[in-house]
Amino acid sequence: MKKFNIELAVGLFVLAGILSLGYLSVKLGKMEIVGGKGYEIYAIFSNSGGVKEGSNIVIAGVEVGRVKSIVLENYQARAVLSLPRDVKIQEDAIAAIKTKGLVGEKYIEITPGGSDKFISPGGKIRETQPSVDLEELISKLVFEKI
Amino acid sequence: MNRTFLIQAMLCLSFTFGMVAPGFAGDPQDQLRETTDKVLSVLSDPDLKSPSKAKERRERIQKIVDERFDWEEMARRSLARHWPQRTPEEKREFVPLFKTLLERVYADKVEGYSWNKILYEGETIDGDYAAIKVKIFTAKDQTLHVEYRTWKKGSHWLIYDFSVEGVGLVNNYRTQFNEIILKSSYQELVKRLKTKSVQN
Repeated sequence: MKKFNIELAVGLFVLAGILSLGYLSVKLGKMEIVGGKGYEIYAIFSNSGGVKEGSNIVIAGVEVGRVKSIVLENYQARAVLSLPRDVKIQEDAIAAIKTKGLVGEKYIEITPGGSDKFISPGGKIRETQPSVDLEELISKLVFEKI
Repeated sequence: MNRTFLIQAMLCLSFTFGMVAPGFAGDPQDQLRETTDKVLSVLSDPDLKSPSKAKERRERIQKIVDERFDWEEMARRSLARHWPQRTPEEKREFVPLFKTLLERVYADKVEGYSWNKILYEGETIDGDYAAIKVKIFTAKDQTLHVEYRTWKKGSHWLIYDFSVEGVGLVNNYRTQFNEIILKSSYQELVKRLKTKSVQN
């Protein structure tokens, strides 16, 4: 009887361990298991500047969502943005590709608009700004000075 | 005999109107090109080049630009979330202030640039909205990428935003205005815009 109890305890312990590992990998990998609780909209950028699947979507510096996919369409970048349902995006909001610091990772920043119309799931953020090529801008500045 | 004539006449008419209608509305790019050409002709007018004519020249450019820019929409988008909170009087006061700010910033640039060549790279129309890409070659052999965002009002495509080298005007002012309003107040923003317009 006592032996059985130990075996049960070990079994439960291992099971709990496996579950925690599973939970950790889902959390760390930022995966969504049951479709998530959000909705998706898309945006077209003339230059994605290297935004990747899983890149952050930020409003007022707060991470609100992730880039679900980014593909080439008509020689432009089409990014699908996954957002939580309670974060509504106005029709005149602007999505801009930004860089953390000077050489940091790329993310998409949404500046909320003032329209009373919201983009419905599957809709498009019309106003976008491509990634700004700092190197190119600096070189332009330099050459103008000469 | 009469009926055939009538049908022919009707066909002719519908054909003519069919041809005229899309041409009348005009492509966003053509309308933009028209405005730019008008501005360039004023800039290159030798009669207006003397410093004494500078005011007249600026006024003429302003008039041409006014026809193509939707200042109210630009101001609305720049104030964004703070626009619906404003009273009609405040809105009426804000639009000209915003316009003066832009004129102050861009007039010198437009007048000072030596435009060598302007290349229209095409337009993307999405319902009542259109984006037009333009490449400007300056005399210093530099290229500037400009993108105009327009929307259709009647038969006119009016500009409500533009970006130079990927940096958008509305987004820039939206961030700045939001910061000023959240840090102090809307009244403070108006005060700042007023002092800036006086400095002009």
